[in-house]
This record gives sequence, structure tokens and C-alpha cells, in this order.
Amino acid sequence: MSQRHAMANAVDYQTVSTTFYDAVIIGSGVAGSIVAKSLSEQGHHVLIVEAGPAKDMTLAGFNQYVDRFHAAVTKDNNAPFPKNANAPSPRSPDTHKLLPGQPGTDGYFVQNGPLALDSTYTRVTGGTTMHFQSTTLRMLPEDFKLRSRYGQGLDWPISYEDLIPYYRQAEFELGVSADVEDQAYQGIHFEPGYVYPMKKIPASYLDKAVAKRINDWQVEVEGQSVSLKVRSIPQGRNGMPNPAYDNGKGYVPVGAVSTHQVEIGERCQGNANCTPICPVQAKYDGRKTLNKALRTGRVDFLPQAVASQVRIDPINGRVIGIQFKAYHNPASPEHDQGVARGKLFVLAANAVENARLMLASGLHSTSGLVGQHLMDHPYLLSWALMPEVTGTMRGPLGTSGIEEFRSGAMRHKQSAFRIDIHNEGWGWATGSPYPDLADMVDNKNKFGHELQQQLIDRISRQLLLAFMCELPADPSNRVTIDPQYKDQLNNYRPVISFNISDYCLNAIAYSRHMAQRIFQRLGAEDYTHYDPSDYGYVTYQGQGYVFRGGNHFAGTHVMGTSKQNSVVDSHMRAWDHENLYLVGAGSMPSIGSSNTTLTLSALSFMSADQMLNALKSS
Amino acid sequence: MSLATQSPDKLTIIDTIEELHFYLKEALVLEHATIPPYLTALYSIKPGTNLDARNILRVVAVEEMLHLTLAANVLNAVGGTPSLTYAGFVPTYPTYLPNGETDFQVSLMPFSKEAVDMFIQIERPAKKNEGKRLIKRMRRQSCLARLHHERDPELHFYSIGEFYEEIIEALDRLYEQLGDALFCGDPKRQITPDYYYSGGGTIIPVVDIESAKAALHLIVDQGEGHGGSTAGEDGEFSHYYRFQQLRLGQYYRTGDAPNQPTGERFEVDWGSVYPVKTNAKVADYPLEDAELYAAAKEFNNEYFSFLKQLEEAFTGRPEILIPAVGQMFQIKELANALMRNPIPEMEDVNAAPTFEVGPPTGPTR
Repeated sequence: MSQRHAMANAVDYQTVSTTFYDAVIIGSGVAGSIVAKSLSEQGHHVLIVEAGPAKDMTLAGFNQYVDRFHAAVTKDNNAPFPKNANAPSPRSPDTHKLLPGQPGTDGYFVQNGPLALDSTYTRVTGGTTMHFQSTTLRMLPEDFKLRSRYGQGLDWPISYEDLIPYYRQAEFELGVSADVEDQAYQGIHFEPGYVYPMKKIPASYLDKAVAKRINDWQVEVEGQSVSLKVRSIPQGRNGMPNPAYDNGKGYVPVGAVSTHQVEIGERCQGNANCTPICPVQAKYDGRKTLNKALRTGRVDFLPQAVASQVRIDPINGRVIGIQFKAYHNPASPEHDQGVARGKLFVLAANAVENARLMLASGLHSTSGLVGQHLMDHPYLLSWALMPEVTGTMRGPLGTSGIEEFRSGAMRHKQSAFRIDIHNEGWGWATGSPYPDLADMVDNKNKFGHELQQQLIDRISRQLLLAFMCELPADPSNRVTIDPQYKDQLNNYRPVISFNISDYCLNAIAYSRHMAQRIFQRLGAEDYTHYDPSDYGYVTYQGQGYVFRGGNHFAGTHVMGTSKQNSVVDSHMRAWDHENLYLVGAGSMPSIGSSNTTLTLSALSFMSADQMLNALKSS
Repeated sequence: MSLATQSPDKLTIIDTIEELHFYLKEALVLEHATIPPYLTALYSIKPGTNLDARNILRVVAVEEMLHLTLAANVLNAVGGTPSLTYAGFVPTYPTYLPNGETDFQVSLMPFSKEAVDMFIQIERPAKKNEGKRLIKRMRRQSCLARLHHERDPELHFYSIGEFYEEIIEALDRLYEQLGDALFCGDPKRQITPDYYYSGGGTIIPVVDIESAKAALHLIVDQGEGHGGSTAGEDGEFSHYYRFQQLRLGQYYRTGDAPNQPTGERFEVDWGSVYPVKTNAKVADYPLEDAELYAAAKEFNNEYFSFLKQLEEAFTGRPEILIPAVGQMFQIKELANALMRNPIPEMEDVNAAPTFEVGPPTGPTR
């Protein structure tokens, strides 16, 4: 007897096992939901298999996430979500410094090293967009030709031009707030007359204080003079609708997801803890798209079911079905097995999970590249105290950044990177404000009015700069599986092998240097300190740095021009299995200096178009 | 034309632009007047509890603000000037609203079944009174809005619905006489979706007869509903049915018949409410407790300052709505602070905002 689910379209595993769908989609995150929406809107009958429970499609369910986050002692990006031993998610507090030759086995990931990676994703309804910051930048045209132009990593088989109409669809779906005038730089261009759905999110006071000293500052980079600018970040959160959008039709922001009418989340209120979770749902998350798909009435949703094997016809390589384990209770491994069948199959479970599932099914692909070329954005953080109170804790977390280092001749020698100005103080770097408070009370013996004043003086002057560096595709960075390491449901745990190349370390070192120069120019006191016992500590050219994972897993099933050099074609269809699509950042051959969600969303729309063609001709 | 010379069934009340302005200003009073009672009930619910009830109350309060803004747009469009800060704009509670033959009392009270019943009364679609828009009624001292004929104080509108019907018909009548000259207001005063968001449907900038009527129809639709169905033309449930959900403990789904919701059930914890005093006045707070007294005054000052901001926004500076929204958070915090505190020397009674709001009138107490 299956559990009663909170959603009208939730089905049980028996129904699934006796239905033949047009499409079977593994994962209800942004990629899976976009595909589900695209297919169901065109009349197709779709199944979504989701590893997590389906308790968050109501306001009350979502608010449990918010409450859990508020009560959590460690506020990592998966803190809002309950532990689920049947569908575990990686969590950064599980990351520890690696000893040579000893894999780190705390938590879900098995960290093979040499470097421990604290990046995460979230296996709940709505996927990782349930915790992301919602920075929705396009990639640069040159990012698609990393190998040809700069001799690094891989080229894409498609270009920025090919993606333009799909970027537009993605920007609509994610509800992006930005002004086109700010975003046409370094080759990024738009269709004539294009505007974003909503106007840019206003710059914070802190942004403006930084801009005063940084705007128009000329910096020498590899012999070129670059003029810096503090620029609004395009974000997938609700702002002021642009009446000129879509030829004057305008845009209606999508607020909170609910089974009944509520009017919340139509505009960002500035809650500083919006990463991981926006208390009012003004930030995009995958459930907003999932909701649209479910409303077509043609989508069956099977929660608490973990895909465990992709079954292939040995003669023609087509997928016959995907086996899943349907559990009743996250705490107990008891489960039923079933098989989902359909005309075509879509893996949209995240780059790492897609690879894990393929490998668990024995599907390495002709290229042998499944799981290889694992990419992420290592972040270098630097932090300082501004000379005056500039305000912190007024969200959203990132309203402006500096983009001039995303391209240029330096990319021959070091990674591109971009800089985020953080509005929530030193939080990500030091855990502020808690250690600051502890220091003042325990060590400095402050209380009362003096404590108040010192807190203001300290916390309201905190400036954190986050340098997000590109990591080109490298076959030795990979996801593998090992029979020694399984989870409660007896599914393989991902084994992560990760290292940062010198090319990227050059950028990390350069970023540290640039941070020092920026702080100098701002008259800010540099408080950056990298602790050698930190799990993210690396040394390079005699200096030590700490990097943090960007949570942008990619590359594990790259697209390319042939079955020898890639896993999927330019529409994300598996070369070896003509009715199998692997969507998500796993298909991306490079990630540039761009948070992956917008691009993977565009790719999902592109892939869905191809699936529609395939379904039409079948 | 005097009343005496008009035949009763052809009685029109609004014949001139001045009269139109008068009644649109009354609409502002009316739309605002239910906000303090809704906010009092909303903020009296203990935080962390009764999520469904809080959301329903909040949605309705937000829609009343939309109605206020729509009425201001219409008034501005026909050359009037919205004002929210004169003495008497905010009524003294308890006050009275017309509903058919009777007046009923509207109070500032904590969330309870009684309070929800009162809200249902406010929003109840009154049966049409067979062509008699006005009826003779005892003039009350304190009335939610002077929904009576300007010239004959004993003639009251039968219901809020009739009130708006008259205004809509008057717009048509005056438009026939004056044409586009009727819409002589400065378009820059119109509040647009840039600055106003949320509230079940986008704000309608009023520029002509169609948009004026659309704005007023939206007010009526959202309040009492549309032709006997639970939802308006845009599919949004009307306030009356939203409140009914609270009494029935069940949500409506699109397409449900009136009084027969088929959606999710939900619990209301009627006990999880601060026991705030009904219709509290600043005079209830003993001078001995200077903090409580000061907090109550501060709330009223903040609320008045909020009305001043709205007025500024409605009279040519729509961008002021942005800081006004910020001020609403402030108001909520002050309301919560009051409601958490018991009134000294009263058994189990907490303080509440008094909404004794108006321009400073000289030394008090």
C-alpha cells in the first residue's frame, strides 16, 4: 500500500509498472521539469521519477524547510532538507581534509582526492534549485571554444548563437531580473529588441560603496588595460516586471508554489538568508516549472523512488526500461522494485547522479567518458573590513559583481573568473556573525551597549569577495563507483576524484592578488586568512590558499561531435542509446565563468525540442 | 435637480463630477477601513501557528490595499485628488457598515470564529434590492463610510455592492455627457505594476472609460464575487469565499459550487491567538506603564506616517510606494510588540494597536 501523497498527480509504483509512457524522466529538478513541461504541454504523457519525497508542493511543506533551516546549528546549503538515507545528498559539513591514500568516506560522497570537494546538490522535489543562489548568467561566446582558442579543456559542438533562442526561453522560465544594457559585454549579445522579463535587482548600498572606488579603475591584465565595473548580476528572482518584455505583453512573476491560492513571493523582499532558502519563494526553484507541467494533467509523478538501473536491449542499444526502488519511509531500506517504461528516457538527476546511474548500469559509452571530465567552479574567498559602515545582511546575497576577468588574453595562461560581492558579510568564509559574537563575548568580555556597538562596527563593515574560477574539462577529474561503497538502499555511492590544475591555480593565485589590490583601493582592512588544516587548503608556488566548491557539477557526460569523443550529441541524446537523453550540466564540455543553471536550462529546452521531433516520428 | 423632483425608481445620486469625486473619496475610506480589522486579526495569531489562516487573512488584506490603490487610480483619472490623512479618514472602531436592511458592527478584534464571521458579513454579497438602490435608515453616529446620499443623510446605500454600481453607472453617464474630457487627470499619477505588485491580479492604470470600469469591477469581483460563483473572472476566489474556507476548515478548488469546497482540509488552532483587547484605545493603557503607552502611540504615529506616504504616492510620486512597503514591515513589528504584552491590571488581556490615527490635534491627556 503506497503512502498518501500531498499531490494530486502522485502515482504509486504499481501504476507506473503497468503504464507505458511517452517519456520517462528521472529527476524533478529544473532540467527534468523543463523537459516534462515541454513534452506534456505538447500532449505527451510523461512520468517523473523523483528520489525525494513529495512533501514540499504545499506552502506548509515548504515552510518546514524554512523552519528546519532556521533551527539548524550548521547553516550549510542543504541544512533546510531532512536527512534521507535512501536518497542521500552530499553535505559540505561531511567534508574533511584528506590524508594521502585514504578516501574520505563521511557522508554520501566517497572522496578519492587528491583534493576534498565540498560541493553539493539536493535530492528533493525541485532539485538543487531549492538551495541555489539563482545567479543566472549566460556563458560567453568564447567559452564554447575553450580548446580552439586557448588550448584548454574541450570545445562545444554548438555555439553561443545556437543557444540564443533557448537562453531566451530559459530566462523566461527562471524569471530573470536584469537590464540588457548591463549584460552585453565580452561578446554576450541578444536578439534585437530583447529585454529580460524583469528589471535588474537594485544594487545594495555595499555595491554602491564598492563601485565608487572600483568603477573605471584601469587594471593591467596580460598587457591589456581593463576598466573595471561593478555590474548588476542577472538573477532568477522576482523583481519589477518589465512592461516591454515580449513585445509589450509584459511578464507576470511566478510566486510561491501552492496547491491553493496564496499571494506570496511576487517580489524579492531582501531576506539575507535566501541562499539556501527564500522564505517567501520569490526566488526561482524547480517546483515552479514542475507545477506548470503537473497542471497539464499529463504528468505522473512518482516520488520516493530511486532509479537504480538503466536496462538496455543488447542488440540495438535502446533503453527498455529503468528500474527503480520505491521506498515507503526515508528511515527504512524497505522498498519495492519496479520498472518504468516508455518511448524515450531522460536522465535529469544531476551530473554526478546521471553518471552514477549510467555506471551502475554498466554503461560507460563507446567513448568511455561517462563520469569523466567532472568539472566544478572552485571559489577563492577574500574578506575585509570596509573603512565605514556599508551595511550587510540585506539580501539577496549577491546583487552585483565584476565581470571583466571573464575573458581576455590571460585565458592562455590562467582560468577566467568572475567576482561576486556578497551582501551577507563574511558568512561563507568565516561563519559570521557567530564567531564574531563569540569572540566579543568570550574573549573580549563585551556586553550591553558596548557589545551592540562593536557588533555593528564589525558586522556592518564586512565585505566578502568571491572569485569563481573556471576549471576546464580534465579526464582525471571523475565520478566512479566502487562496490565497497553503497548507500542504505544498496545503490552505489559516487566516488569523486578531484584535483585543480595549475591553469586554474594560476587564476586562484591571481584572484588573491587582485583581492588585495581591490581592498587596498577601497581602503579596506584585509582579514583574509587561509588555514592549513582546512579541507580546501592547497599550496601553489609557495603560497597557501583555501578553495570552496561552487556546487556546479558538470561534464560527466559531455556532448561532442562523435561517439568516440563524447557521450551525447549536441541535443543531449546518447550516441549509443538512441532513445536515451542525458540532460543537465553533465552534458556541458566547458563551464566558463558562468553558474551552470541558466545554460543547462537552455540546453534542456533545446533537448526537449529534439525529443518532440523524435516522438512525432515514432 | 432636487431629489424631490426625481421619481424613486429613476433616482440617480451622482450627476456631476464633483459628486463623482465625493463618492470615489468615500470608496477610499471604505477600502481602507477593513484593513485595520484584518491586520488586527492577522497579527494576533501567534507566530509559527495557523499558517493557513494567516495566509488567507494576509491575502485579503493585500487585496484590500489593491482596491484602495485602484480606487485612487480611478479618482486621479477623473481629476480628483486622493487624500488619506484628514481627520476621520480612519474610522473610530467599532464602526458600522451597511448590509441590506441592517447595519452591522465592525471591530478591531483578535482572530476568532466571531472575527471571521464578522469578516464574512463585511464581504457578503448582498441580494439586490429590486431597483431600490437607496433606503431610509437611521443615521448612525459612527459609520464605516458615509455611504449615504450627500444631500439626504437618511438615505443610505443598500450595500457596498450598490455603492459601486452607482459609481460605475455614473461613469457611463458622465462619459456620455463629457466624453474623453472626463478623464482629465494627470496620467503620471497612475499607479502601475512597477510600483504595485501582489494582490491577485495586476494593478490597472486608469486612462479611459474601459480601464475605469475594469478597475471598479475588479474591486467588486474580488470582494463579493461574480454572479453567484466562488471566483471572479480571473479565477481568483472572492474574499467572501476565502473567509468561508476558514470557518469550514477546507479550501476551495476552481470550479467548486458555492458553499461546497472540495479542496484540502486544514486545521485552525483557534486557541493559538494572543488575547488582545477588542477595540483597544490608547486611553486603556495606564500612564503608569509608560512603555506600553509609548508603544501604542508609536504604532499610531507609524501608521499615520504610512498613510502619508501612500497619499504622496497617490498624488504624483508612485515611487514612494517602495519605502511605503518597507514601512509595512515596521508596522507589523510594532503591532506584534503590542500584542505580545499584557495590559497591566487587566486579567489575561493583551494590548493591541488602536489605529487612533489622524493629523495631530493638540495635547492629549
